[in-house]
Amino acid sequence: MKKRLIAHAAAVITAIGLPFVLVDDPYLLSITNFIIIYSILCLGLNLILGYAGLLSLGHAAFYGLGGYATAILMTRYGFAFLPSLVISGFLALVFGFILGLPTRKVRGDYFCLLTLAFGEIFRLVTQAWIGFTGGAMGIVGIPIPQVFGWEIKTELDFYFLGIALLGFTYVTLLMLTESKFGRAFVAIREDELAASVMGINTPIYKILTFCIGSFYAGLAGSYLAVYQTTVTPSNFRLEESCLMIIMVIVGGMGRLEATFPGVAMMAIAIEFFRPIAEYRLLLIGMIMILVLLFRPQGLLGASAFKD
Amino acid sequence: MPTSMFFDVLIVGIMVGAIYTLVTIGYSMVYGMLKLMNFAHGDVYIFGTLLCYTLLTKYQLNPLLAILLAALSGGTLASLVEFFAYRRLRAAQHRMISMITALGAAYVIQNNSERTWSSQVLPFPSLFPAHQVYVFGHEVSVAPLITLTVAVLFIIVFNLFLKRNKIGKAILCVSQDMPTSSLMGIPINKIITVVYFLGGVLGVIGGILYSTSYNAISLGMGFRGTIIAFTAAVIGGIGSMSGTLIGGMILGITENLVSVYISSSYRDSITFLILIIILLFKPTGVMGSVEQDKL
Repeated sequence: MKKRLIAHAAAVITAIGLPFVLVDDPYLLSITNFIIIYSILCLGLNLILGYAGLLSLGHAAFYGLGGYATAILMTRYGFAFLPSLVISGFLALVFGFILGLPTRKVRGDYFCLLTLAFGEIFRLVTQAWIGFTGGAMGIVGIPIPQVFGWEIKTELDFYFLGIALLGFTYVTLLMLTESKFGRAFVAIREDELAASVMGINTPIYKILTFCIGSFYAGLAGSYLAVYQTTVTPSNFRLEESCLMIIMVIVGGMGRLEATFPGVAMMAIAIEFFRPIAEYRLLLIGMIMILVLLFRPQGLLGASAFKD
Repeated sequence: MPTSMFFDVLIVGIMVGAIYTLVTIGYSMVYGMLKLMNFAHGDVYIFGTLLCYTLLTKYQLNPLLAILLAALSGGTLASLVEFFAYRRLRAAQHRMISMITALGAAYVIQNNSERTWSSQVLPFPSLFPAHQVYVFGHEVSVAPLITLTVAVLFIIVFNLFLKRNKIGKAILCVSQDMPTSSLMGIPINKIITVVYFLGGVLGVIGGILYSTSYNAISLGMGFRGTIIAFTAAVIGGIGSMSGTLIGGMILGITENLVSVYISSSYRDSITFLILIIILLFKPTGVMGSVEQDKL
């Protein structure tokens, strides 16, 4: 417990201190911001994948729902950033609830196909519904967000906004996974039938995890919209969902802290190999294979997983 | 003539369905046997198809020889991927882990193909004659009919192989119960290699048939192929042979009917919507059986 307290304190100090090291380099800050977005997404996905054992290939769609909701609310209806952020999160939550409902009947890989289909439908609709979503060009010109009078303009401002969101995500998820709910999730993951016999209402818990994980994806999407000032369907492709799953599994499923090394490693690999674009995918593919061949539980994963 | 057009669309739909079935067979067998989502499948078959393209256009090889060589190398690549990326992880704690190495292998193959062939759309030559014939008084192009016949022949031959041949029977055994078949003296590792090889071969043949009927081949079709194979396998019922055929046909026919009669830009959305509806009413696929939970 004490060790963890020290680790968390160190993380907070690094988070606040990091920009003073990177301040001169907007490029490094932009990579850091990218890592922050993916950390929020992957923390939510780790809850779905690692705690509830649901494989979701549609996480990018919830990310996209948040992004498009913020983009449309802010550009067309003149909403401020904070209400848009909240609405984006809850919109993703509602869709997560609707998509989570069939988990009662549709199981395992059939559920995975359901999420894949949802993700693809989302992307294809955003591409084809030009009047509402701007088609393949997406929505441009999302205004500068303001939070309680603080104008968020520079990479550094966005870094602090991102850290605030990430902190919120991590702390709430930590509280959740350490509560009665969290222990129920773990019980379901380890043995669903045994958990249901113990009196855990497994269907409701699964739907809940799916909703909650999607909620954070909505927040991340909202942040992406104001950070990029544009959203396009290509931000939310199936490849994005795959990348998130890769990050979670390379980091380690079923442990929230393990998400960070997974995200950081993949994000840094993607950036590091950018100059040699010809061989980038090859090297990234090799890294994924090698890491998992030698550490099948992921970089920080520890729990004994039952299939 | 709306009826004649419907007839045409239906034939093309059935043809595409048969091709999808060929591509899905290998995927579905692996899936049923090892519960592994083989994300490298699409990139393997597109590698074989691109190889066939080079052999046909650059080296002017005899088409039959080119197809044979391409299919064999596709199969070999598939078994190599199994050997390097999956075998060690077969006993891993969680099957999602080998799914990620599969994705890694897919990236490696994709990168190599991109460097060799670029990611542009390449003009694949037509292998079949283009003239028209009359079937039940309707004018129909010959090429789709030949393609369909070839695809169906391969499906039938493969089914006979599974039912009659000793190795085929061993494959069915292993996919039903791996530990027991191993106790009966079936060499599991060899059988799995054979399954990957055959899956790769059939996938490449499907890819070649698809490319020759649309006169186009591109790297992007690989990932789409993986998704189609996954969808067809799940919708039909994982690991079921007849399910694979039904899944492939449902996908091929709906895709074509939707793109002609409703809208081509909403084609994939509507196809996926139909899938969602099927899953909501039949949660284990059309031919799938319910797996009982055990404590």
